[in-house]
Formats: sequence, C-alpha cells, structure tokens
Amino acid sequence: MAETGTRKQLEADMSDLKRMVLRLGMMSGDALSRAVRALEKGDASPARAVIDGDDELDDLTERIGEGCMAFTARHQPLGQDLRTVVSIIHIATDLERVGDYGVNISRTVLGLEDRPLLKPLIDIPRMAELLLEMLNRALVAFDVGDAETARKLFIMDEQIDALEKQVLRELITMVLERTERLEQAFMLLNVARTLERAGDHLTNIAERVVYMYTGKMARASDYKTPRGRQ
Amino acid sequence: MFAVNSETEANPTPGGATPETSRAQIETRDLHLHYGPVHVLKGISFDISRHTVTALIGPSGCGKSSYIRCLNRMNDFIGGTRVEGQILIEGADICGPGVDVIDLRRRVGMVFQKPNPFPMSVYDNVAYGPRLFGEKNRDVLDGIVRKSLEAAALWDEVRDRLPASGTGLSGGQQQRLCIARAIATAPDILLMDEPTSALDPMSTARIEELVRDLRRSFTVVIVTHNMQQAARIADRTAFFLLGELVEYDDTLKIFTSPDDKRTEDYITGRFG
Ligand SMILES: Nc1ncnc2c1ncn2[C@@H]1O[C@H](COP(=O)(O)OP(=O)(O)O)[C@@H](O)[C@H]1O
Ligand SMILES: [Mg+2]
Repeated sequence: MAETGTRKQLEADMSDLKRMVLRLGMMSGDALSRAVRALEKGDASPARAVIDGDDELDDLTERIGEGCMAFTARHQPLGQDLRTVVSIIHIATDLERVGDYGVNISRTVLGLEDRPLLKPLIDIPRMAELLLEMLNRALVAFDVGDAETARKLFIMDEQIDALEKQVLRELITMVLERTERLEQAFMLLNVARTLERAGDHLTNIAERVVYMYTGKMARASDYKTPRGRQ
Repeated sequence: MFAVNSETEANPTPGGATPETSRAQIETRDLHLHYGPVHVLKGISFDISRHTVTALIGPSGCGKSSYIRCLNRMNDFIGGTRVEGQILIEGADICGPGVDVIDLRRRVGMVFQKPNPFPMSVYDNVAYGPRLFGEKNRDVLDGIVRKSLEAAALWDEVRDRLPASGTGLSGGQQQRLCIARAIATAPDILLMDEPTSALDPMSTARIEELVRDLRRSFTVVIVTHNMQQAARIADRTAFFLLGELVEYDDTLKIFTSPDDKRTEDYITGRFG
C-alpha cells in the first residue's frame, strides 16, 4: 500500500522535531558534564560559559514546543504519531531541566571563589559520567525506536541513586571529623542531589520512549530492585 | 460474551439484570455477506452495547456500509445478496426469513450520507414514519413531530415553517430533519452512514453534538471516514479492512495505541 504525500510530509516534519530534540539533548548533556568538570577542576570560566549558554537551551525548548503545536495543528496526529509528539513535549521539558541543573552546579562553582575542595571528587564525576551515558542511550533509543535500550536506563538510574548515597555517607564522615567542613559538605551534597534528580529526568525520558514506541506505559519502579534486596 | 450470559443465567442477580438486559444489544456472530460472487464481509463478530456511539472506520470499499445495511436488512433491496452468520438484536436473530422487516426498520432507523428529505413539508417528513405505522391522531402526530424535531436540535429553527418544504432547508438542517424523521418512529438503534460528509464544518459540528446527545436515548452506529470525528463522538471504534473487522476497542485506545499494526498504519495515514 502506497504512502501518501501527506504521510511523507508528516514524516519530514516529525524528523525535524526529532532532530531538535537530539540537539537539545546534546546541549543539556554538555551543560551538565562541563559544570561537573568545572567543579572538579575549580575552574570558573567553563562554569560561566554554561550559565551563558542557558538562554540558547531555553530558546530551543520553546521552539520544540511551538513545533509540536504546529505539527499537531497541521497533521492532527493519531496512534504512534500522537504518542510521539506528546512525548516530545515532555522529553524536551525533561532535557531542559537537565540543562538547568548544569547551570545550578555552575553557579555553585562560581560560589567557591577559588577555595580548594575538601578532597578530590570521586563519586560526583562518576555520577556525571553515568548520567551522560544514560542520556546518550536515551537519545539513541528515542531516535531509533529502541524500547529495550530505554528500559535499561531504569537500572542505570539505580546506580545513580546508590552513588548519591555513597556521597552522603562520605561527607557525613568528613564533617564528623572536622565540623568546619560543613559548608562545603553541604554544597557537595547539593550537587549530588542535583545529579540524582537529573537521573530521574532521564528516567522519565526513558519511560516516554517506551510509551512512544510500544503504546504501553512503563514505570521505572517496576524494573528497579525492590528496597532491602540490593 | 456467551460465558457472561450463561453466568448471569446461572446466578441471577436479585432484582437485577435479566439476561435480556445483561447481553449486548447488537451481537454480530461470524457474519458473512456476498454480493453475487463478491465476498464482502468475511466473518464479522462483535458486540455493541445499548446507549453507546460506535464508529466504523476503514478505507473505502472495506464493507462498512454493507455491514450497517445488514443491521436493518437494507441489503434485501440489492439482488443476489447472501448472508451467513447471525446478527442478534436484543437476543433475536434478524437475518432469518421469518423476521418482520418493516418492524425491524422501525426499530433500527437510518440516516444517509446525503440529506434526502422527502419532497414534502417539514411536518410531513417527520410524520411520515408514524403515519406509515398507522398513527392518525393529529394531536399525537403534532407531539411526535415536535419531540423529534427537538431531539434533532432543529425545532427552534423550523417551528415557524413546519408547512414549508423540507427540501428548502439548508444542508445541515436537512440532515437534522432526516435525523428527526428517523427518530420519529421511536427506534432503539440509529444507523448513520457518513452523515456529515456532505456538510460544512459548522453543520458538521452541530450533528456531532447531536449524536453525543442522542446516545442518551438511542444506540448509534455511525460510519465515518473522518477519524477526528470518530475520536470526538464515539465510545467504541471498529476498524474494518477488506471485509474483516481488524480491531474493535475503546475509541481512545484505537486512536492512541491500537494493538494491530494494520490499525496503526491506517490511523497514521500510511494507507487508505
Ligand atoms: N450493491 C452492490 N453490489 C455489488 N457490490 C457492492 C454493492 N455495494 C457495495 N459493493 C461492494 O462491496 C464492497 C464494500 O462496499 P461498501 O460496504 O460500500 O464499503 P464502504 O462503505 O466501507 O466504503 C465494495 O467492494 C463494493 O464494491
Ligand atoms: Mg460506505
């Protein structure tokens, strides 16, 4: 059965939307990883660049929203097309939020004002690395329609959660040893919490991708190891 | 469905549903229809409940009109048709030879694609059916005409021109007149075959609104080629393809995440 001209136009418009989402995803991931690297190195200038780049991220998110609206008005999508365009709106919001977290962390870096860190960071960069890996997988799954890969993100998010707890434990010990470390410990804990939230947004994206391509709602909590059995 | 019925009969709910009301109003069982050598419907089976709107969608020529014409035996008018299988309305088979077809058509009204008012007054159009069934009392007829026109959301527009010709109304009004005519004989079921495809968007919107209201009193089965229309007005949607019923489910499910790949391809405009 032959594809209609309208169908071709729909697919062209859809792939434009998807390309914008992929771009937004790369920008958000970039913001997050540059912010964490700036923190690690105590380097203010990349942190400033991340903060300055946020407007561009917001603009792109807005353009995606408008694009989805135009797409809907034009094609009145149904079935997978409908699920995709609705998912794109949600995914763009989640990605924008991940970018915002990069900005938050960058502000923290500027707040340090060249004071050295308590100790070399280990788990926080690891969290960032894992998040980037999650993001890349989510974007690929989104692009090629791979629900299986998307489901794997649910497990990765557990590792993020575990690392956050690890950071907390370590910081508590350090503060107990020397209370004047409290302020910085608090700041680092905040960063870890921010990264943990970024993991939640990436998990949302993975859930959306599964829904887009299967029509079934996937809940990350159904895939995670039950508490107490880790 | 059969299982549900036998269960109901085995454990009648106290003071509750009798088997007649617990079963679906229209049960289609392995229905086959042939026009001469052409096999048009190939084993259709599904249930339609009372007071619901069911949309039939599918590409042109897939058998939607043929199916609804089975529901009031309109195919009888076409020579060389052969029907196998069953359609039970309120539990009684309507396909057999012993059926009172005139009474069936009173109970199962039909509205067509092109508004086709009779060349007579608005009043006589609506009174036509009741008169055919022997109603002569002017007061009773007046009441039926008014109630039917009200139910068809046309009364306010034509109350002052009941003696005027039905064919002088606008297209949208004519279609609502045809709906009034169909409901004047107090049917249980209303069949509509693409009732808005000849109408402008405003008139279409009025008919759609009307269909949503009608379902309080009638069971509506509507053929539409407009999927947004089906999504707006139908509780359940049936997708026909090449004489088969591919998928039948809640409308929302059909239009957001259908189970069958062919349904998905159709609603997303990959063919049809
Ligand atoms: N009166 C008829 N005689 C012979 N074939 C018919 C007749 N009416 C419809 N058909 C055929 O039956 C098939 C189904 O038609 P129809 O029920 O009108 O489809 P739909 O309403 O889905 O467009 C088509 O192949 C059509 O050509
Ligand atoms: Mg037809």
